[in-house]
Amino acid sequence: MSLLLMQTVFTAVLVVGVLALILGLIIVLIFKLFHIPSDEREAEILECLPGVNCGGCGYSGCPGYAKALASGADSDISKCAPGGKEVIDQLAAKLGLEAAAFVPKVAQVLCQGSCYYERQRYEYNGSESCASAAGLFAGPGACMYSCIGLGDCKRACHYEAIEIIDDLARINPERCIACGACVGACPKGIIQMMPKYTDLFQVRCSNPLPGKEVRGKCDIGCIGCRICVKKCPFDAISMHENRAVINQELCRHCGICKKNCPTGAITKGLINPEDEERLARVDRINEEEAEAARLIS
Amino acid sequence: MKSLLMILFSVILVDNLVLSKFLGICSFLGLTKNLKNSMGMSLAVTFVMLVATAVTYPIYYYLLAEFGLGYLDNLVFILVIASTVQVIEAIMHKTMPALYNALGIYLPLITTNCAILGVMFLNIDQELSFAQAMFNGLGAGLGYMLAMFLFAGVRERLEDANPPEFLKGLPLALISAGIVSLSFMGFKGIVENLFA
Repeated sequence: MSLLLMQTVFTAVLVVGVLALILGLIIVLIFKLFHIPSDEREAEILECLPGVNCGGCGYSGCPGYAKALASGADSDISKCAPGGKEVIDQLAAKLGLEAAAFVPKVAQVLCQGSCYYERQRYEYNGSESCASAAGLFAGPGACMYSCIGLGDCKRACHYEAIEIIDDLARINPERCIACGACVGACPKGIIQMMPKYTDLFQVRCSNPLPGKEVRGKCDIGCIGCRICVKKCPFDAISMHENRAVINQELCRHCGICKKNCPTGAITKGLINPEDEERLARVDRINEEEAEAARLIS
Repeated sequence: MKSLLMILFSVILVDNLVLSKFLGICSFLGLTKNLKNSMGMSLAVTFVMLVATAVTYPIYYYLLAEFGLGYLDNLVFILVIASTVQVIEAIMHKTMPALYNALGIYLPLITTNCAILGVMFLNIDQELSFAQAMFNGLGAGLGYMLAMFLFAGVRERLEDANPPEFLKGLPLALISAGIVSLSFMGFKGIVENLFA
């Protein structure tokens, strides 16, 4: 009985094994016979790229960008944000191009309207999505240009760089690779890519309405008073639609605008001072949970 | 000859692969957004269907059945189809670059297309002769092409019809696929009477 069984198994294994071997050999043979030399330059360029396939460059992934660079369809080598300066230098060496000055970027939420500062118009009980909340009278927040805080950007981020704390998205600059996925995911369009200066000064408000309107809705928005425009010694600040915008190329990081801002809409750094302690708190909670899970298991 | 034609027409109209057997739905929904893509995919499927039938039929009857290993057809057919597609792809890339580029991504996609595997099993289950199996494969491919062609036309018209927001995209595609499938039920019995 067991001999018969052995025989059956043996035949099956032998037949399938030999068949697979023959098919494999045929494939190898055909691939050798019909080999097409691939573009080596393209492969080399692809090797330089980080291979995270985030799509931040505007192509479908790293192979797409490598192809465009190799074929000369694209000559801009500074499109890879996650790669940063290193990749640009490598690409410049490979392609014989001048390495452009590169400033790493980071995504920033241009709103500070957490539940402590911004008033609510109604209570939203719909599905957990900013896009659907935004479809209902532009979201529950009093300010039509504020962060809704239901986490569309958090779900778009593959690098766990975004936390929603107190109804406001907060981006961890150390984790952000500047792929730009959150910028496209935000239905309000209030996430922007900013140069990654540790002393970045920016107006964290996106409301284009006149100051009186802003004041009624949020304690911490830009009311368009123009004090910073007048005080800036480098003429780096200008007004766009009733709100101040800092030109990062002209900014010398002196901090005079922040000191003089009456509402606190101008902030220094990539995360709010307020964020720092909150992020630390979230980290601590996560650690405690991990510890508890470890103890339970 | 009559039986061959009967198989051909019945598999195109009555037992249509996509619309009555519900095989190959993924590519049916994914690639019918415009007529050009759907034609490329159906050509590739028809071609691979014929080649795969020609390869799997003898393998089943002269290798598996011979050794009493009919129960391994699942494994072996997948293996054979996948390698056949690889080989076809490599040859086509070298010898017919224009056709290769036209078929593009659809050729490797066929590796896992259940329509191909389904037809291989039907050939065996219905105990067809080799000629009948080839005609079954050809008819299945042509039926797939017919379904893709009709449905791509339907979807192109629907795109312009400005449907309500909640129906846009896949919901509307699924509903209209159901209606097209229903309409194919009207062919029931036509083939028997055609060749009566």
